[in-house]
Amino acid sequence: MRLFFLIISICACSLSAQSDWAKWEAKQIPYEIPASHQQEYKIDSSDLGMTLISFAHNTYNFFVSDLDGDNCPFYPSCSSFFVLSVKETNIILGTLMFADRFTRDLNFFKGMNRYPIAANGKFIDPPSNYTMHIQKIKFD
Amino acid sequence: MKIRMIIILFFLFFVVTAKGQDYVQSQFDYANNIFGSQHYFDAITEYKRLLFFDLTKAFIYEANFKIGECYKAGGKFDDAIEYFSISELNARNDDEFFESKTQIIRTNILRRTTDRALQLCDELEKDERFSSRTDDINYWRGWSYIFADEWKRAANSFAKINFNHELKKLAAQTDKEKVSVTFAKVISYILPGAGAIYTGNYLSALLSLSWNMLAGYWTVNSFVQDRVFDGFVVGELVWLRFYRGAIYNAEQFAINKNIEVANKSLKFLQNEYKGIKP
Amino acid sequence: MANSLNKTSLLFNNFALIFIFMSASLFAQPDFFSAKYRLEFGNYLYAEKDYLRAFHEFRNVLKTIDNDTIRFRLANSLFKISRMSEAADNFKTLFFGSALSEEARLMFYQSAYFLNDHKWFRELTEQENYQTTKYKNEVERLKSITYFYDKISLPDTNILFKPFHDSVHTRLAKFYKQKKYPQYKSPTAAAVLSSVIPGAGKIYTGEIGDAVAAFLSTAALAYLAVSNFNAEHKFRGWLFTGLTAVFYGGNIYGSAAAAQIYNARIRFNFENEVKLYFEERNYFLPRIDF
Repeated sequence: MRLFFLIISICACSLSAQSDWAKWEAKQIPYEIPASHQQEYKIDSSDLGMTLISFAHNTYNFFVSDLDGDNCPFYPSCSSFFVLSVKETNIILGTLMFADRFTRDLNFFKGMNRYPIAANGKFIDPPSNYTMHIQKIKFD
Repeated sequence: MKIRMIIILFFLFFVVTAKGQDYVQSQFDYANNIFGSQHYFDAITEYKRLLFFDLTKAFIYEANFKIGECYKAGGKFDDAIEYFSISELNARNDDEFFESKTQIIRTNILRRTTDRALQLCDELEKDERFSSRTDDINYWRGWSYIFADEWKRAANSFAKINFNHELKKLAAQTDKEKVSVTFAKVISYILPGAGAIYTGNYLSALLSLSWNMLAGYWTVNSFVQDRVFDGFVVGELVWLRFYRGAIYNAEQFAINKNIEVANKSLKFLQNEYKGIKP
Repeated sequence: MANSLNKTSLLFNNFALIFIFMSASLFAQPDFFSAKYRLEFGNYLYAEKDYLRAFHEFRNVLKTIDNDTIRFRLANSLFKISRMSEAADNFKTLFFGSALSEEARLMFYQSAYFLNDHKWFRELTEQENYQTTKYKNEVERLKSITYFYDKISLPDTNILFKPFHDSVHTRLAKFYKQKKYPQYKSPTAAAVLSSVIPGAGKIYTGEIGDAVAAFLSTAALAYLAVSNFNAEHKFRGWLFTGLTAVFYGGNIYGSAAAAQIYNARIRFNFENEVKLYFEERNYFLPRIDF
């Protein structure tokens, strides 16, 4: 029996050689439990428009979104999607992208839309997929 | 003549074996030096070299054990456990067996595969050879519970070693500081925002309560004024939304508060605790 | 006579004694870092698939021993750990005057292929001093495969399929058709359809649920706008008109974007399918090792 386990272990070792295909260093293993995502209130001061939009977004988060529970099934959430869309394109396209996202959120059967699913169960739907640049579209 | 030949052969055998062992010992020392300087990847190479040339298998236990330690230091727990298992199979006495086994337990603790760590602790406890090492077993059982965020059980395990054990006190204190997630939720059902107050999030509690009172007023007012449709819409889309939100938030606040409490203790254990760690 | 034999025997014994002592002392002092022992250890690591460590051993061995097999193994170790550029350079050192020249050339092309610069790879296959006679067909196959990944137009099937065995031509023809005539949706058509009937463009791209949601939300907002104007609630009327316009425009834009996502998915799936097909068959390459 011991021999059997030894053979199994040695076979496993030869398979595990893969973990040494790149040199690694010692690392400290964190004892702490990873804290869940906390809402951060940040103002994007890249330009006046983004400052105003991010201020409005933070205000919405503080007074509404943070108090009404976890409702948006998407990642990033609809409000974040709007801010990111405007940042990536402009206010007009960003608004259209947001309207489209909001409509897709209304779809009761959105689970059938083949969105990739994040570890927290949310549908991954980044604005970069909707900028009309095919090379920016990602499925994973 | 025959006697002379036998003496020569004996001498030859002795020299070859002794000298060979010297070189294997030197290689082991060399590998240990690299291990000591924390170059674990290179240390593994040298331990593997030792294993390859150690034809008498004199260092099979030590080298595999050390390789396991190297992988563990590099956070490669699966590999570490594999090598500790080989060392366990090649243990020459009960002490070596116990050392390998506890290293497997410690690696499982760090890997956060607590169930396996606890299972191995139970196996060791049942083994009559280690009846005198119950304290060690309870110590690692306590650590397993700590990494599983079960501080009360951890405190009980350390209490079996010594009722005033430093880690028993820490685990008991951590458990005491934690809040009840269920209680936070239940009181939020009764009064929206109460769970947030319980977990110390007063501003959120105030805002949550305000929204619920305002939305409640709108809803009731709509029904009072016979605007039934408005009443249903505001009730469903505003009031219920914030009511459910208050319960959800109470739960999240309690979970986060508990993580914060646990992390304070874990940080102490990692950086300040002087005793033996996983 | 007996005395003479005795003397010879004594001499032999003394000689044997000296010899044994010398060899014993030699044997008893193994330098684990000598080229000989490093080679033994390197070969062991190589067999254990511990390629990075094997590479380091072989590199040290080659400082004192020049051997084609060791060179090949060193290059192959780099290949196995996906250090393709270094692997290609090392396989190159075996191109001339080596018994392993042909195999090294094939492995050089394999390493170059996995660098994923397909245009450069095709140029490499044209380099005369790199070409292999024994594995010409294998290299040609890799070259053909690169066409399936690139945006450039595909060459004629006769040229593309030639290096492959007849038995796989049907599958290759399917890939060829998928690549040459992809079932793409037109973003413009999707946008036009949605501008006529909100949601129609989404139906065109296969997103039926989104189409229904788009139609109903636009219709509901339009209804609210009209009903508020009718009820003389001008502010609310304009508010809902604005929202209708935003959602209407959003749906047109979203339909075009959905068509593009549809197309990107077709390309993504196609490339994955091709990759999986050739990977499962090791790119129709022989497994070379020494």
